[in-house]
Amino acid sequence: MSFAIEVKNLKKSFGDLQAVQDASFQAEAGEVLSLLGPNGAGKSTTISMLSGLLAPTSGDGCIMGHSVIREPEAAKANLGVVPQDIALYPDLSARENLVFWGKMYGLRGAALKSRVDEVLEIIGLADRQKDHVGKFSGGMKRRVNIGAALLHKPAVIIMDEPTVGIDPQSRRHILDNVKELNQKGMTVLYTTHYMEEAAELSNHIAIMDKGKVIAYGSHDELIKMVGEQTRIDVTLNTEAEKVLSAWRATEGVSKIDALDGKVTALVDDSNRVLPRLFDAAAKASVRITSVDIQEPNLETVFLHLTGRALRD
Amino acid sequence: MKILDIAFKDLTRSFRSAFAIGMMVVAPLMLTGLIYFAFGNMSGGDVSMTAIQVGVVNADQLPADSAFEMPIGEIIRSMFFDESVQSWITASDYADEASARSALDKQEIGVAVIIPHNFTERYWSGEKDVQVLVISDPTLSVGPAIVQDMVTMGVDAVAGSGIARQTIMERLEANGIQPDPAQIPTWIERYGNWYRDFQRALFHNPDKAALVVVAPSTGETETADPLARMMGLTMAGQMIFFAFFTGGNSMMSILQEHEEGTLARLFTTPTDRTKILMGKFVAVFITVLLQGMVLMIAGRLAFGVQWGKPVSIALALTGQVFAAVGLGVLLISFVKSTKQGGPVLGGGLTMLGMLGGLFTVNIPGGMPEAFNAIGNFIPQGWVLKGWRMTLDGSAAGDLLIPFLVTVAMGIVMFAIGAMMFRKRYA
Repeated sequence: MSFAIEVKNLKKSFGDLQAVQDASFQAEAGEVLSLLGPNGAGKSTTISMLSGLLAPTSGDGCIMGHSVIREPEAAKANLGVVPQDIALYPDLSARENLVFWGKMYGLRGAALKSRVDEVLEIIGLADRQKDHVGKFSGGMKRRVNIGAALLHKPAVIIMDEPTVGIDPQSRRHILDNVKELNQKGMTVLYTTHYMEEAAELSNHIAIMDKGKVIAYGSHDELIKMVGEQTRIDVTLNTEAEKVLSAWRATEGVSKIDALDGKVTALVDDSNRVLPRLFDAAAKASVRITSVDIQEPNLETVFLHLTGRALRD
Repeated sequence: MKILDIAFKDLTRSFRSAFAIGMMVVAPLMLTGLIYFAFGNMSGGDVSMTAIQVGVVNADQLPADSAFEMPIGEIIRSMFFDESVQSWITASDYADEASARSALDKQEIGVAVIIPHNFTERYWSGEKDVQVLVISDPTLSVGPAIVQDMVTMGVDAVAGSGIARQTIMERLEANGIQPDPAQIPTWIERYGNWYRDFQRALFHNPDKAALVVVAPSTGETETADPLARMMGLTMAGQMIFFAFFTGGNSMMSILQEHEEGTLARLFTTPTDRTKILMGKFVAVFITVLLQGMVLMIAGRLAFGVQWGKPVSIALALTGQVFAAVGLGVLLISFVKSTKQGGPVLGGGLTMLGMLGGLFTVNIPGGMPEAFNAIGNFIPQGWVLKGWRMTLDGSAAGDLLIPFLVTVAMGIVMFAIGAMMFRKRYA
């Protein structure tokens, strides 16, 4: 079976640092695949290799069957890349930016003009097309940033954390855009460290940590990995270290992690484990200020797999 | 085609940048304009100078039995009242030294010339301490120096007449002829008349002077207007300096794109990296070429610069473009960020410009030979040589060496820089 995206044993080293180690995953045509992981997990390095920015140390990646190593031009022609940061010319207008990027994808003449008009409609900036991008709000720039990757109607689009640092309204707009593009048949590789985005958008999710793909599957398949366990978030009035070792030894606690006075634990049965946690806290003279019990989600999966919360 | 698309995009961005336009066109024209307004009047041949106010006290009188017809004091005095100096010297007589000093104190005059009592008799009798006194307003410099020179010339004339008399006497005696003492005043007067005419001719009719100073000609159509010549060199110096700056600054767009993320995005498109680099190089080349052409037209219209013969201009401009682009690519290839680029371009190009002689184009007599020798190793120095020859009206054939050297330097620097960029990005 031919995949829209296929990553085979991809590796990338920078000196002694192994940024990506033997990563493998696939995405079928027309699906959304999310790469989920904390900062530094190797997501951006992986997509940099897929988009031709970095040469892999070993392994290969294919876009619509074209190897990024052996047929980079063909692979790139089928690929649209939305960088994490805005990569546009601030002193050119929205239209001038789109025209330039369209030309870089080989569009010319009437085809270019009509496609730029279409994309301006898609991103909702037809009425601001003559304004310089430098004068746009962050959300508007994001939309042009996405539009520039859609001009040549790529079969595959890679979006590298496109919602980082923007307002909720623009974030919603972008997520809706991704769904719309996917409904039109476009394969999307979406990287994020927001598990709710991955859960909402994806057919399949690859969870990355420390350069490795540690889990791959659909949302439901990944949740099943956790079993019947429940995630509990506890906030303390003091440093977590005072009670952490006692909690770690508590019966029913399978994984526990602490950051900034907030403790995340994975437990077998919250009804039985919670009283034991309160007892241990009282003995350590630590006061619990809030408790949040959650059904298993992708963050629970990450905690289950790594012993660390995804926010780390 | 994509090469031209990238070049066109870079050109659009450059010409929309107020900073780039300022450094490309406005700054060189403004600096040349400042020099034009500062020196324009002095160099235009329309010399206007405030007349020197001279007060003369002539106490020299001949005794009744003197053999001379005119006292030396009167000869000196008459120099300041001569019609040939009336346009720049206004002389007045004063009765005595006290009244002349008083006029000086009141700034009615700038210089007082005091010729002492019985100066002629005392001078010819060999008295040692007899002298003409020149007193001046201490705030003045040029006027008193001129008056001092004129008095010295007058006294030299008198001394010369003494030598003339002695020589005549000796020659007559050597030939066994007994000189007639009654003829001596006549000889001295004849010498005096000759000397006066000689001085007038020397300073007021240079073409009739014994010593004619001729400036060496460096070309067949050298302009007669010193201002136009000075402005041509000044404009050329500024144009060269800012052409090199534009070459580096335009090339810095690659660093800017790297920082903006658009370079990485370009690399994700199906565009060969060599084409991306070529597009940027083409943009720099066109920018520097257009800048040179605009500055030449502006220099002609604003300052009347006569650039020279068309083919020579084309060669000089082409050499300038090659050298400026080559050095720009080379310098920026060593720079990691736009923050580094500013100081490197500003400092590096200013130093190279100085060593290349761009800021000393109008130094009278030129720079020392050692300094000029350094210019032979600097691209700016060779570009300046080309423009000097073009401005002097040299033919295209004469420009071949500067042209070939600048183009060769440009290609070598470009090749090294492009190799560095390819290593970094491609």
